[in-house]
Amino acid sequence: MGVDFTLNGKPRSFAGDPRTSLLHALRDDFRLTGAKDVCGEGFCGACIIYVDGEPKTSCLLPVGALQGTEITTIEGIGNVDTLNPVQQAFIDFDVVQCGMCFPGMVMTLTHYLKDNPRPSRAEVKAALTGNICRCTGYERIIDAVMSLHNSASGEVRT
Amino acid sequence: MEQRFKYPPSVEDAVSALGDSAVLFAGGTWVMRAPLRDEDCEKTFISLAKIPELHLVSVNDAGVKIGALVTHHALAAISDVPEMTALVQAAGRSANPAIRRMATVGGNICAKDFAAADLVPALLALGAEVEVQSFEGAASLTLEDYLQTRSTRPSTEILTSIHIPRHSGRSAHARGLLRQAGEYPVANVSVYLEPDQNGAINAARIAVGSVESTPKRWHALEAAVSGQPFGRLSISDLAQSLTQEFTPRDGVDAPATYRLRILPRLVAQAFADAMGQLERSA
Amino acid sequence: MTESMDKTTAVMNLPRRDARDKLQGRTKYTVDAGGSDVLHAALLRSDVASARITRLDTSAALKMPGVQAIATAADAPGLHGLGIADHPVFADKVVRYHGEPLAVIAAETLAQARAAAKAIIIEYAELPKVLTMAEALSQDAPLVHPDWEDYEILFEGGNRSGNIAWQATVDRGDTDAAFARDDVTIVEGSYQVGRQNHVSFEPRAVVASFEDGRYHIHTSTQAPWTVKSVTAKVLGVPEAAVHVTVPAVGGGFGLKFDCSLEPYATILARKTGRSVSLVNSRKEEMMTCLCRENADIHIRSAVTKNGEIVGRDATVLMDCGAYGGEQVFLTTMTAHTLGGNYKLGSVRIRTKAVYTNTPPNGAFRACNGVYNTFALERHTDEICAAIGMDPFEFRRRTVVGDQDLGATGQVFEGNVLGPMLDQMVAKHPIGKRSDTLPDGRLYGRATTVGTWFIFVGPSAATVILNADASATLVTAGVEIGSGTMMQSLPQIVAANLGIHPDAVIVKTADTDAAGRDLGVGGGRTTVSIGAASEAACADVRDKLLEVASGLLQTKPDNLVLTAGRVEMKGRPGSGTTIRQVVQHAETTIGPISGSGAFTAPGVPAMPGCAAGHFIDAIDVPVFAVHDCEVAVDPVTGHVEILSYRLVQDVGRALNHRAIHGQIQGGVVQGIGYALTEEITINKNGAFDQTGFESYHLPLAGDVLPIEFELYEGAPSIGPLGTKGAGEVPILNVAATLGCAIANATDKKVNTLPLTPPRITALLEGRQNGSNLGHVARLRGGDKR
Ligand code: FES
Ligand code: FES
Repeated sequence: MGVDFTLNGKPRSFAGDPRTSLLHALRDDFRLTGAKDVCGEGFCGACIIYVDGEPKTSCLLPVGALQGTEITTIEGIGNVDTLNPVQQAFIDFDVVQCGMCFPGMVMTLTHYLKDNPRPSRAEVKAALTGNICRCTGYERIIDAVMSLHNSASGEVRT
Repeated sequence: MEQRFKYPPSVEDAVSALGDSAVLFAGGTWVMRAPLRDEDCEKTFISLAKIPELHLVSVNDAGVKIGALVTHHALAAISDVPEMTALVQAAGRSANPAIRRMATVGGNICAKDFAAADLVPALLALGAEVEVQSFEGAASLTLEDYLQTRSTRPSTEILTSIHIPRHSGRSAHARGLLRQAGEYPVANVSVYLEPDQNGAINAARIAVGSVESTPKRWHALEAAVSGQPFGRLSISDLAQSLTQEFTPRDGVDAPATYRLRILPRLVAQAFADAMGQLERSA
Repeated sequence: MTESMDKTTAVMNLPRRDARDKLQGRTKYTVDAGGSDVLHAALLRSDVASARITRLDTSAALKMPGVQAIATAADAPGLHGLGIADHPVFADKVVRYHGEPLAVIAAETLAQARAAAKAIIIEYAELPKVLTMAEALSQDAPLVHPDWEDYEILFEGGNRSGNIAWQATVDRGDTDAAFARDDVTIVEGSYQVGRQNHVSFEPRAVVASFEDGRYHIHTSTQAPWTVKSVTAKVLGVPEAAVHVTVPAVGGGFGLKFDCSLEPYATILARKTGRSVSLVNSRKEEMMTCLCRENADIHIRSAVTKNGEIVGRDATVLMDCGAYGGEQVFLTTMTAHTLGGNYKLGSVRIRTKAVYTNTPPNGAFRACNGVYNTFALERHTDEICAAIGMDPFEFRRRTVVGDQDLGATGQVFEGNVLGPMLDQMVAKHPIGKRSDTLPDGRLYGRATTVGTWFIFVGPSAATVILNADASATLVTAGVEIGSGTMMQSLPQIVAANLGIHPDAVIVKTADTDAAGRDLGVGGGRTTVSIGAASEAACADVRDKLLEVASGLLQTKPDNLVLTAGRVEMKGRPGSGTTIRQVVQHAETTIGPISGSGAFTAPGVPAMPGCAAGHFIDAIDVPVFAVHDCEVAVDPVTGHVEILSYRLVQDVGRALNHRAIHGQIQGGVVQGIGYALTEEITINKNGAFDQTGFESYHLPLAGDVLPIEFELYEGAPSIGPLGTKGAGEVPILNVAATLGCAIANATDKKVNTLPLTPPRITALLEGRQNGSNLGHVARLRGGDKR
């Protein structure tokens, strides 16, 4: 008997050791490799996914704790042809480098901007406390985020 | 799945599921890192998630009751208990947002080897009591007493809730970090202050974490400040003069001397914050 | 450059074509390759730093569930290295560092492989160890390599003995006479820096298979051709039997400039006939990182009261760990940093790579340039204090300019650093260098200069012009995150062929398709691969114009390539499309392609100045001017960076926005190196920092926007006048922060990193220069 949950909108079941981290289940068993295994200890955020809409670090979540939940990974954000506004802003500002941290960045910021559509720079930085990037030095990521509520019409684009 | 990951429906069932080959599972942020600490990770997880009362926060005139599974994120959102600011701040600033959604107050208290917990000093400063349940039934004791016996408490005991009595004072939490955020504090301080009618300190509770391996109250400093008028308090100097109360630990993050060095500053920060709250509420 | 193209068309903010997939989590890095048919491998590593192996028994492990093969030293007897072949793939009879591989296991699952690793029986007889360079160089120190004299020498010229793996020296002019002058002040300083871990987010990882009698290695590397040749060497197979492909690499920063995990997976693939994946866990990655090395530096200068440096004498000890590796090569680079920046009357430099029983080190963005610049700029400020000259004034007078001599006697071309300094102060005039802020914090400001180089050397490129007028660029270049393969190279090719960069297809690195290349690193991609690509384009263009000239009845010289067309010069809209010409070519000469190559031109040095150097002069110098303001909290030792600005020499900026990204990212890595990232080695010879909890990378809250200006027009042999822009932003960050903190605190800052606890120790006078007697001692007895 396995653990049943919804993964990116589809019912799925996991029959392995329920203490396996969701991150490893996603990457090894479901072959969804968008969430990255970087630190394995909750500091870097590269493995962030949503459980019932809330961003969590999948490296510290055993699958056994997820019975009946709805899980969304970066692969479940839009589809091949559509980007969400955060992803689009990152393209527009040319901020991606090696890219390993970006799935987690997108997950964190997409959720954060939903509740906080007009954050200050400092607030965005605080929201990124658990998302480490080794390549970019962050500031241009923040520039891209700030552009989302500085559109010409003053409208929030999330 | 039953074998390795159990969901007992009640605290009693959870207690009877515990034993040497089982480990309590709350938020997972400590347990899931056992392999990184080279600890045994073949234990059965006993999840408390399906025990509804452990998720509850209730506030009434007698006090605030917090279930052991309440997350940092949920604690940080409590806005209607003004004297509890230290706890709200500690919960809202610790670790990072994703971890705060997972890590629980019970886990924070029970992780024996976690010197740098943020909630523990806050709860000490708020005079919290904890309720535990074992084969012998339920019992409650002060958090201070709990911590003193923490390393020897039976593995078949479950900490079920925290009780914070209501008070009229104000509290604040300060963290000493090497970066701006996102790490365990090298020292942290929570302060609860209650004024008397004459603008002097009627009661103070001061707790310090991460300096020693277990957080503790700073009774000598509490005694030194009580009865002192707020206005003329040179708290940083007082704290400085009483740092011999601690046997600080050396760590990879910071040497023992550094923890003590920044302690007076942290105390002063927490005092200033709590005093500011008192002024605004007056 | 022929006139048949317009260089300015190469300049644009081309977005990166790989961003979309990366943002959607669809990019498959090496760590994402695999599937149920792939075996998983795990390494058994030593947990002692120095020992004789008395027993290694794999028989029980081989019988464990899921285990398919185990390999040990017997499977890879060859030694490899840079300069000296001193490095075995597996510890063979002796262990020289904590974490050294002893065996590797392939199993159906990673958990099975790890369980089997635990079941291997290993017994040691511990040997005495040397964990610091001071210990390694002390009298009667145990030798890390008792057989050092027997190793194969891969590059001649290095002076070696015992625990000194390599020594490079520079002697230009009569230094002794300079120090003996009676009109000079002698300034002396010692500096000590720790290691820095790259923490590339994708760990080192490889998937290997054995196909049609050859080895296919799919790996996360910066240097596919190095992986190919080293793997062939240690396996004892012909290089032609090894095929390396590289997908997107999740960060490198120099860590992946060497062969690392590839041989293990390759051996297992041969043994099992299956694909084998080997990925370092984060803990392994932290504890066996080929770090930027720790170093001990001693500098002495003889300076006149006018600020003329008539003599410089420096000794640098670089810890190479248990094996020589990159540090052997990098001994060369001391000359060009400690001997760079300033005009020197005479110079003597001794640089030694020292063996210790610690994990080997490697290359990291601007390598030893970063700490040598820290030491040099702190030393320069101490010179200024000693002779009473303003530090800016001193630098403005003394920096190298046109026709000045470098350390090894090379002649610099062009005045670059001077005008860059002017550019910095024109916008940000220097006021106070130190002050106390109203909140009680200590204010400091500093301006520093830096000299580094673009690492050039052989590259090859092929350009194929397709029937639809798109072009395919084939090189061994790897996209490691910096964007060079996604931006500069298509921009260069497009400008050369008169097409849009979107019409340039960039083939991912594949040693079966592309010619030899030294790898992506050292800022060399734009310059070396770019120049080879440009040469390939010239070949294509010649063929194309020849065909067009027949078609359009005019001489090739009259034609230009622009916007997808071949046009008559000065007559926009004339001529025909490139597509038509390509189609026509099919009937006359066949499909059009071209090949190009590049290698280091070899700028001359003064004969006899340098010994043990891998390169005697730098082909493409790069300069930088940095300036920052800090506030230091005297209680907690926290440093807040109030402003950070720089002027960077880029030759020509092809993609301003992409360079901005490299500057912001590079400076922040430098901030981490200077302030938060610390590695300590414990008594077992292991790093204390084993993960992200203890190794402190800068987070978003710790950084600030870097203000920058680009300095264009300095001479460069790079295509379109470019220099690589990605490596150098980190160069003088620690120097600038170190000097600003020294100004703020009025203390002798001579160690890195400057973490809050270390700054408080400095303020309390407890960290007044570590004991660096061994460096100064070496200087005395060593005037070879
Ligand atoms: S891998 Fe989960 S937070 Fe880093
Ligand atoms: S882009 Fe490489 S880690 Fe963020």
